[in-house]
Amino acid sequence: MNAFVHVEELSLRYEMHKKNVLSSVNFTLNSGESVLLLGPSGSGKSTLTFCLNGIFPRELDGEMEGQVSINGIENRNIKPGERSKQVGVVFQDPETQFCMLTVEDEVAFGLENIGIPPQEMEERIDYALELVQMKDLKTADIATLSGGQKQKLALACILALEPELLILDEPTANLDPLATKDFIATIKKLKNKLDFGLIVIEHKLDGWTDIAERAILLNRQGEIFYDGPIRDVIRVKRTQLLEEGIWVPRVTQHVMRENPHIENPPLTVEEYRQNPLPVVKRISEPPVPAENNAMPLLEAENISWSVGNHDILHNISLTFHRGEFVAIAGPNGSGKTSLSRLLAGLRQPTKGDIYLHGKPLKQWKESMLRQEVGYVFQNPEHQFITHTVYDEVAFGLRWKEIAEDQAREKVEEVLKTCGLLDLSHAHPFSLSQGQKRRLSVATMLIDDQSLLLLDEPTFGQDAHSNQELMNLLSKKHQDGATLIMITHDMDLIHEYATRVIVIKDGKVAADCSPAELWKVEQGCLEKWQLEQPIAVQLSNIYEKEMEYVSTTT
Amino acid sequence: MFLQRLNPSVKAVTIIVFIIFLAMIFEPVTPLLFLMWTIFVTFIFGKVDVKKYLLYFAPFIIFALGMFWTSIVFADTPNHPDDAIRFFGIDFPKESVLTALALTLRILNVAALSLLFVFTTNTVHFILSMMQQLKLPPKIAYGVLAGYRFLPMLKDELKLIHDAHRIRGVNQAKTVKEKWQNYKRYVIPLLASAIRKAERTAMAMESKGFTGDKHRSFYRQFKIQKQDFIFPVLMLFGFMFSYLIAIQIG
Repeated sequence: MNAFVHVEELSLRYEMHKKNVLSSVNFTLNSGESVLLLGPSGSGKSTLTFCLNGIFPRELDGEMEGQVSINGIENRNIKPGERSKQVGVVFQDPETQFCMLTVEDEVAFGLENIGIPPQEMEERIDYALELVQMKDLKTADIATLSGGQKQKLALACILALEPELLILDEPTANLDPLATKDFIATIKKLKNKLDFGLIVIEHKLDGWTDIAERAILLNRQGEIFYDGPIRDVIRVKRTQLLEEGIWVPRVTQHVMRENPHIENPPLTVEEYRQNPLPVVKRISEPPVPAENNAMPLLEAENISWSVGNHDILHNISLTFHRGEFVAIAGPNGSGKTSLSRLLAGLRQPTKGDIYLHGKPLKQWKESMLRQEVGYVFQNPEHQFITHTVYDEVAFGLRWKEIAEDQAREKVEEVLKTCGLLDLSHAHPFSLSQGQKRRLSVATMLIDDQSLLLLDEPTFGQDAHSNQELMNLLSKKHQDGATLIMITHDMDLIHEYATRVIVIKDGKVAADCSPAELWKVEQGCLEKWQLEQPIAVQLSNIYEKEMEYVSTTT
Repeated sequence: MFLQRLNPSVKAVTIIVFIIFLAMIFEPVTPLLFLMWTIFVTFIFGKVDVKKYLLYFAPFIIFALGMFWTSIVFADTPNHPDDAIRFFGIDFPKESVLTALALTLRILNVAALSLLFVFTTNTVHFILSMMQQLKLPPKIAYGVLAGYRFLPMLKDELKLIHDAHRIRGVNQAKTVKEKWQNYKRYVIPLLASAIRKAERTAMAMESKGFTGDKHRSFYRQFKIQKQDFIFPVLMLFGFMFSYLIAIQIG
């Protein structure tokens, strides 16, 4: 039988690299078939994308062996640009997929490339935008769209070209959980409506499992180690999945933690609902008791902030005590980041005052303030200053008068904790994504500030490095530091935070413990663009079920 | 608003032609009258915001006045001592005043013509039109367009890096030299992310079938119509008129 996609003995090596990115990859895909392609970061998933859409070997600096045929035509035999009529790709980063300024121009760009006559374009643009429910944004400026809308626009651009195969290369890695859900729902709807083959490349399985039944798994060496139904691999090769850094759905994780030998674990909340199993309920730590006479660590008094005529924060008063782990949540654009910048003293509030240890921030000397308050940015690269990993960590010691050999000992200890000791002479920019994140954590471990603010530190990172980050953070918290973290991840809040603050439209909408927040009614949470974490959803379902059982028997 | 609807390429070419014409005029009357004409056209046919226009025009005026002053102060000694113009209590030779005036007005004229273009043209439309009328290769045109999108992103990024470095305690620069060193420190993260972004954008464009090939269709079509010739004719009329009056005056 003639398969639509046929990959045979594909091996690929980049120039300057010793090892292959992909080795002896073989698979076929029938037309209209959907498959999940899973692998940890660095397993050559994106490289495979470029092989499938015909950019490699033409643009490759390196060597490629083997055959990639689509619809019976080998990649080397096509003219540049020809493949885009059959294969479309949505990439990971929503910011860098566009070259035009408005939505309609961007969709038109692809149509222009393949020479669609101008009189047909209008109709095809409307059609494509209709598919992703963005027709009312046709003339909008791309810069004003949210991340989720940008990814849907990228999808519309591809759909306008009517490809037979759609490749999604970690399309939701840079989206918040709500936008992720929406994007996956859009794909699901389109899959029912249109006829296209689908390859979803991911390292996290959440949400995708009911779109495709088949999974192809790559290991770190770029070899396929499994090709078959997704349920079987979770059952049979769960440990190998974890070792390779592929993340089974959170629902499955929770259920299997309690029932490790279960035959057919649920992959989604819906599946769990049909067959609830006991799950552990996390007993959240009681909020840190505010000692009456103790001075609060950080106190904001009626602060407001505006840029030009645009009010961003209105009259916010908050008190933070020593030892708290505070999560700040809320919709995009509600002022979370602005609030954190004010609290860190990076910006001055337009009105009101912020006190650290009872002394107004304005009166702090900058160098003293930086020893008290740390801030972790989304992109670790932004914070790197020096040219080697060692210097980067040692930089934090320059204020402290420590003897040379003592300093060396301390730096090496921190590097060891973060698993970077072997890389101490590397340039920070040459590290992998996870290593960069760990290095940025290392720098703040050695700085040893008592208050640390974090602006979505887990955003756009892979799940493995997120886990490492959270481990380091909770260690720091146990050592007595106060953490204030902006996040969209409800499960993180549930697992780590002692207190959660919801910001909506520049005001504090809620300030309570996570456990109390999950009791807030569903409609209200939706308005704040929050949802219950998986663990809470599961235990609620289970309790309801038990109640039902006990009342009926 | 007639100027905004004009084909951008026609507008650009016309303006370049008249800048060349002006470079060949050495007396002050033609540029003065033509300057008035250009500004008249800008406001009548372009409906440009006066405040904004003045704001952008001001630096050119300062520059032109400075030019005027230096060229008369450092002028050669006059050939005909009687032929002098007196102001601020100082005698200046007439011919150098006239040359200085011509130079000044030429600067203002180039400024006025450029502003006419800038205030009435959409950058994206200009690039698209250059591709369609002036045979600009799509590779360059879309490169510039993608870069145009990048500018605000780079600005935001620079601000972020500035904050991030401040947090680590390196941005307490007081002297100019220290500030310069800080900026040097921004270069690597900024370039690293810009290069990565550019590469991703290039890959995304290519996977949408972009090859840089000249044979492509256009969603926004720019054509040269009859009305587009009104602008060069209008400007030529103004120029000839100014020139003739200048000859009359002598």
